[in-house]
Amino acid sequence: MDIASTLTSMAPLDIGLWVTGIMLFAVVIGVRVAFAAAIAGMIGLIWYFATKMPIEKALLVSMKMAGTIPHSKVSTSALSLIPVFILIGFLAYHAGLTRALFEAAKRWVGWLPGGMGVATVFSTAGFAAVSGASVATAAVFARIAIPEMLKLGYDKRFAAGVVAAGGTLASLIPPSAILVIYAIIVEQDVGALLLAGFIPGIVSALIYGGLIIGLAKSVRSFGPPVSGYSWKERFASLPATSPIIFVIAIIIFSVYGGWGTPTEAGALGAFVVMCIAIYRGMRWGNLKEALMEAGKLTVMIFTIIWGVLLYVRFLGFVDLPSAFAEWIAALEQNPMITLLFILLAYAVLGMFMDAIGMLLLTLPVVFPAVIALNGGPDVSAADSAFGLTATGCAIWFGIVVVKMAEFCLITPPIGLNCFVVAGVREDLSVQDVFKGVTPFFIADIITIGVLIAFPGIVVWLPSLVLGN
Amino acid sequence: MAGSSKIRTDESLLSRLDRGFFSLESFLNFIGGVVILAVVLLAVANIIGRKFFNTPVDGYIDWVEQSMGFFAFFGIAYCHRLGGHIRMDIFVGFLKGRALWLFELLATTLMLLLTVPLIYGAYLHFNRAFVNGDSSFDIDLPTWPAKLVVPVMLSVLAVRLILHVWAYARALRTGDEHPVAVPLIEDVATQVRNEAEAAGVSYDKDGKES
Repeated sequence: MDIASTLTSMAPLDIGLWVTGIMLFAVVIGVRVAFAAAIAGMIGLIWYFATKMPIEKALLVSMKMAGTIPHSKVSTSALSLIPVFILIGFLAYHAGLTRALFEAAKRWVGWLPGGMGVATVFSTAGFAAVSGASVATAAVFARIAIPEMLKLGYDKRFAAGVVAAGGTLASLIPPSAILVIYAIIVEQDVGALLLAGFIPGIVSALIYGGLIIGLAKSVRSFGPPVSGYSWKERFASLPATSPIIFVIAIIIFSVYGGWGTPTEAGALGAFVVMCIAIYRGMRWGNLKEALMEAGKLTVMIFTIIWGVLLYVRFLGFVDLPSAFAEWIAALEQNPMITLLFILLAYAVLGMFMDAIGMLLLTLPVVFPAVIALNGGPDVSAADSAFGLTATGCAIWFGIVVVKMAEFCLITPPIGLNCFVVAGVREDLSVQDVFKGVTPFFIADIITIGVLIAFPGIVVWLPSLVLGN
Repeated sequence: MAGSSKIRTDESLLSRLDRGFFSLESFLNFIGGVVILAVVLLAVANIIGRKFFNTPVDGYIDWVEQSMGFFAFFGIAYCHRLGGHIRMDIFVGFLKGRALWLFELLATTLMLLLTVPLIYGAYLHFNRAFVNGDSSFDIDLPTWPAKLVVPVMLSVLAVRLILHVWAYARALRTGDEHPVAVPLIEDVATQVRNEAEAAGVSYDKDGKES
């Protein structure tokens, strides 16, 4: 048999495995993730159709099918949320909200042991509430918070670690771009996912805060408190942060009070932040820069979405996800152990790959397997492996896996947030930041353990607000 | 990883074409950003109109859906020119000189080989909408302009990819360590500085934070 007839007589599942291998090879040799997925999808469609029809016809059908995907998959109004939330983040910086937040946090919680560290964590959490991007948060706060901490005699490695870790909070506290993308890929309610991130985000911030206080109490020179602010001065710091509270309130009331869609809520928030930025002196050049950056980041995310969905279209023909799900579900071991192995694989993968790319490439295959592991799409909470319905499991897994992906932002060898902080501060090496971030690394493992052991922390708020 | 990269320039034809084409790409990306802003303003008008005047924007969902192709594709070549599409460079990051240009050439050629049939498929998708007179559900907006965006912007990307193939092939031939017209893999410090600058942190010309 010649090669062509061997290829065209292959079983669909084998084609799926080969094409997935081609995709991974393309990713490794440096093809952009979005295009590697799309190339695999295109090759896969041609190969699959070539087993059913003459090659010329297979080529044409594949091109026609693939040609519809970029437009049809991005023209979904739910996805319009992404650019709007991205724009809020860029405008918030120009509106001076980051510095205002840090100043207020310093006055309100600076008196605690390690107070400036706590203030940094809380202000990054506050900034996260209007920005969906971790790396940008770390870069901005490295400039604002580290000099203040060093002035007060904080250990420079610890100061850098606080900022690198604080930046990761943006991935969970709504609005998180990565959770929106997860929701769309696994076809879950965007509002439910955003809401589900809220408590785990706050828990993460509190665990970070508690850790800093504990460290400051046990090591004398770690970080002195900042005292001397009167109540008047504390309250005086609040008006400058009011836009953030206003934006959060708008988003919560709009989405969960039924005023409008998440996009409309985000748009209202973006509009308010833009007005404030203009009032505070944002010039045309700044606005243009914000629009250029928002445009570029939006295209990057949408390209991955349609690229991966082209691959998913092919996967649908060869049934690879369901075969993988059946295999996972048939493993004779505790489903929780299997889940832990999956999460461990993400931890390793996340050390080498960007969080969004990693999740989008793997979810089409891994997500159905996790649902199967829980007991399938129709399982009741009582009969399931993790004590959750399929929807609950989808939301819970989303939060855990996103926390896992963001945890990789502070782990060696390529924890990007650590590189960002070291890059902004000339006096810090990457090793310094990795050393400083180690306690947070342990705190994150505890947080992930808590989220896995108590899924109720994740699903309680969405089920309370949105019902079951 | 994602990130902007600096691109070397000189007075060669390739570099001049690169810079000229980048002006067009920048303008298109800016249009994409303006469309995002337009969606923001439209959504605000919709909420205010609906809440306070009981008159939402007519066909709001249709307008949003038709606008999405614009901000999802207008900056695709701009983003690629700056090395903004994410990738894993843990392997190619180890390579240097001709070995690196060989893999960059291979990766870029693969992307070009995908883009060309995709342009044709996306054109057929547009053509069906144009010939059949497809329109949106609510206010009957024609859908072909948004569908036309995809093949046109992918064609712009294809031109960018051809320029990159040319640049990498030239680098492979000459063995140049720092070729013009392509995003170079930077050391971590430079890459991060670009990330930080994108987030608003600026530096003076000596590299000190200002």
